[in-house]
Amino acid sequence: MSRRELQDLDQALADLAASLEFPPTPDLAAAVAARLDQAPARRPAAPARRRGRLAGLAGLIGRSGWRRLAVAGLAAVLLAAVVLVASPGTREAVARRLGLRGVGVELGGPPPPTVTTRPGERLDLGLGERVTLEEARRRVGFPVLVPGADGFRQPAAVFVNQAVPAGGRVDLVYRARPGLPASPFTDVGLLVTEFQGRPTPEFLKKVTTYGMVEEVTVGGEPGYWFSGEPHFFTYRDAAGNLRDEQTRLAGNTLVWQRGELTLRIEGELSRQEALGIAESMR
Amino acid sequence: MEGRPLDEQELVERAREGDARAYEALVRRYQDLAFRTAFVIAGGSADAEDAAQEGFVKAWYALPRFRAGSPFRPWLLAIVANEARNRRRSGRRQDDLALRVAEDRPSGDAAPSPEAAALAAEQRRLLLAAVGRLGESDRQVIACRYFLELSEAEMAAALGCRRGTVKSRLSRALHRLRTVLAEQGATAAPDARLQGGER
Repeated sequence: MSRRELQDLDQALADLAASLEFPPTPDLAAAVAARLDQAPARRPAAPARRRGRLAGLAGLIGRSGWRRLAVAGLAAVLLAAVVLVASPGTREAVARRLGLRGVGVELGGPPPPTVTTRPGERLDLGLGERVTLEEARRRVGFPVLVPGADGFRQPAAVFVNQAVPAGGRVDLVYRARPGLPASPFTDVGLLVTEFQGRPTPEFLKKVTTYGMVEEVTVGGEPGYWFSGEPHFFTYRDAAGNLRDEQTRLAGNTLVWQRGELTLRIEGELSRQEALGIAESMR
Repeated sequence: MEGRPLDEQELVERAREGDARAYEALVRRYQDLAFRTAFVIAGGSADAEDAAQEGFVKAWYALPRFRAGSPFRPWLLAIVANEARNRRRSGRRQDDLALRVAEDRPSGDAAPSPEAAALAAEQRRLLLAAVGRLGESDRQVIACRYFLELSEAEMAAALGCRRGTVKSRLSRALHRLRTVLAEQGATAAPDARLQGGER
């Protein structure tokens, strides 16, 4: 195509755009305002000093290396809230049913309270120590699985935390890339968490008023798909207390069980993509 | 909000601190852009409305993580476009780029004769049809650039690609559009050559 032809086409498209009619825009401002009215109150932005540390996994990865990521974030793993579209009756019925080994799901109710964190406390709940995959496998008492799906066999980083929950936990982190957008909640492309679930829930997902929880099966075992509105994910520490100070909002999340293992993946994925990655874990 | 209207940065900063009214003003300011971007990606207006609304709600919750001072539009568009893609991927049906060419909006500076206006409208319809016959990715990059008039950074955010690849994607799409037009011209109007570009 000659330069002249390209200019003609460019001009013709600009001309077309000027006479193009999009469907009328619905009144989103009113709809969004109504939803935010009913939704859980948002935590205020962290003050500037603390934001430095919490400013997002990707930023931390880029600017100051993975060590800071370990400090920054169990927010990344631990707490979450969804909004369930259901009548109160249905919600109760669902609440009785929900739960996997190590994970409880609480529907409805107020958002987790804001708790002031003591200095240093956050360190105890970080993603843990950055290690190699082999090292993570040596440190925990369960087989660490890795997705077999194309593009996911090599996590960008692996973290191990042997203290929380008891029995340890491994996190696989994947950078955002084309086709795997950064989550607005974690700033990374995909986060995979694995731990040995106990009958008592150690993680609690809080689902408030909108959003969706769907029952799914992964490799024939039960799981849940949380989507729609962000949800809160809350962690119970070794003493059995819920660690609300680690509450963070989470995006689309798939949680499922495989034998004694409980797995969780979070990212801006569709349900089908999440299930594909989950099914591929070996 | 008192007195003069707040600029975008002030609105974003207030919304980041939890001011729901400031956020509502931002939604009002960008709802056209968000809805149309979602429409280009999801393909239908019901999905687009759904995606844009969900995107705005998600963005509200994600705002505390928004880096103060960085541009708001690409950040918002990335969230909305991703919602739109999820809706599209989940297999809902998509009615091409169901846009219409307005009949009576002459675009030249001089008022054209009725014949010239009809011819121009016909040419626009042919061009729009040709865009509609392109593959999804070509159609989207052309729509983002020309119909939504997005900047390069915004296009990258909306299309979920790196900023460096936007130009080459657009250029490839324009070449394919040219090919489609040439084929269309061979079978349709004897003179489907595009008007425009005269100096």
